[in-house]
Amino acid sequence: MNKVELAVIGAGPAGLAAAIEAAQLGVKVVVFDENAQPGGQLFKQIHKFFGSREHKAGTRGFRIGQELLAQTEQLGVKVNLGSTVFGLDKRNLWVLKDGRTEVFQTDAVIVATGASENALAFKGSTLPGVMTAGAAQTFINLHRVLPGKKVLMVGSGNVGLIVSYQLMQAGAEVVGLVEAAPQIGGYGVHAAKIKRAGVPLFLGHTITEAIGEHQVESAVLTKLNGRFQPIPGSEKTLEADTICIAVGLTPMMELARMAGAEFKYAPQMGGHVPIINDNMETSIAGMFVAGDVCGVEEASSAMEEGRLAGVTAAEYLEYVDGIAAADRKALIREQLSAIRNGTFGKAHPRDEVKEENIYGLKSSGTPSKDELDSCPGVPSKERLAKGPVAVIECVQEIPCNPCEQACPRGAIKVGKPITSLPQLTENVCNGCASCVTACPGLAIVTVDRTYDENKALVTFPYEYLPLPETGAIVDAVNRQGEKICSGQVVKVRNNKKADGTVAISLAVPEEYAMEVRSMAKGGTK
Amino acid sequence: MTETNKKEVIICRCEDVSEAEIKQAIAEGFTTINAIKKRLRAGMGLCQGRTCQKLVARIIAQETGKSMEEILLPTTRPPVRPIVMGAFEGEDK
Repeated sequence: MNKVELAVIGAGPAGLAAAIEAAQLGVKVVVFDENAQPGGQLFKQIHKFFGSREHKAGTRGFRIGQELLAQTEQLGVKVNLGSTVFGLDKRNLWVLKDGRTEVFQTDAVIVATGASENALAFKGSTLPGVMTAGAAQTFINLHRVLPGKKVLMVGSGNVGLIVSYQLMQAGAEVVGLVEAAPQIGGYGVHAAKIKRAGVPLFLGHTITEAIGEHQVESAVLTKLNGRFQPIPGSEKTLEADTICIAVGLTPMMELARMAGAEFKYAPQMGGHVPIINDNMETSIAGMFVAGDVCGVEEASSAMEEGRLAGVTAAEYLEYVDGIAAADRKALIREQLSAIRNGTFGKAHPRDEVKEENIYGLKSSGTPSKDELDSCPGVPSKERLAKGPVAVIECVQEIPCNPCEQACPRGAIKVGKPITSLPQLTENVCNGCASCVTACPGLAIVTVDRTYDENKALVTFPYEYLPLPETGAIVDAVNRQGEKICSGQVVKVRNNKKADGTVAISLAVPEEYAMEVRSMAKGGTK
Repeated sequence: MTETNKKEVIICRCEDVSEAEIKQAIAEGFTTINAIKKRLRAGMGLCQGRTCQKLVARIIAQETGKSMEEILLPTTRPPVRPIVMGAFEGEDK
């Protein structure tokens, strides 16, 4: 029998953060993970995270994974990889490693097993080429293999939106994004990125069939009525060799459940989840949970939950007294509630879709004129006429503030809560474009309407390879991804600090200054 | 891929159980995830129901008018991942 003081099951963002927090307080922690690599989903996340600057917002996910691993190493936390925890009771872990089983007796356990992707069944859904979005992401970002050339994405939550974008970065074409609901599920800025790339959105649609002899050759989409029933005769066929399914996640709660923890059904959290108090403690003394296993959210909240569980476990094991623990927990809870604020937070159940609330960015992937006009980050016409200035097209309350610190002149204010929309002090901004590459949502451009007699200069973020050459003539595209004019590349700024997000300055006819927001991938459509 | 697979909607791909078979079983009175599992083996394959469990629950909800909340979770017990019997050899030595 092996003895472990605190066992953490799962080396994803929640598990690693929990292990670090507990180890910092002196607990001897052992982490178990069934995979060959630690980090959970973090090493697949090549995009920049949202959140607050102090909590790694604006940092690409895989770099956060590297930092967490370095910290666990520094603290002497043992991470057992290739170790499948296949059974759990109140105190014992059954682990399979190298084809042998072992039992570990523990004083406390943190279950951070994450979530698994939901399936979707339709005619032909077992054809090769149909896969979950997470599988496609593993292909491109871990193994560097393109699963297909023409991809149809089903589901417009953040996973569907992010993986669509990454598939295009990897060189695939995304032939469409299908969503059963009448509105986009994930962050509008993620949708705007793929919209600018010209991906057609099929809202209020579902996939009803995958067609192909030996693999996917095409997909049939059908329109849905208000009660999510397919409308006969509305079918359309799209050519595709890959169909990615991104229709939500379900907490992997089997271990917590077999150990006897009490559960509740919470559809907005992904299904059945363990009942916990605000210390991440389950109904079983000494058993804690963190991350997607207790409700599907983002990696940023998973890490905060992990920290909370880590402190509580340390307190339970008497490494920290109640008063010191309470202070620490209060700080973490404050962070958690900050990132849960806003349009997408837990305070606003996602399943409530009201027709009058569906407009602009949510319904099209493009902010409407009204949304832009009332946006506190968009400068006035008068200011635009005076020279270079930032245009912050951030219209949804999401927890994010890297733009605030990116501005060397203090012209951008997000403040508290961090879900507030960024406010631009237009006369302080000089259009330096530092914010353009700092925004994880790629929602900021700078516009100089005084660039030339009849030319304006638009500087936008760009994350596709190959980069254009200075002087090249390229197709300039609008927010919908349509080519509206030609533009000349004046400057390509590939700043190391921006970590791969390149600022491209394009000279375009003056009348298109407020329309051009990117360029065609590769230069021409 | 067989001709049947092309026409049918497969719900449990590990055990090759179709939507039509599940609806038939529900009509026969098998109206829980556990009962469907015992009747048709849906959820007894390699993935242990991680793919089909929610789909089966949704079909039960549709066919019986029960809410998803009312549809009980199946039993969870070790091992949660498929393990070869040999791994348990000599554990008590």
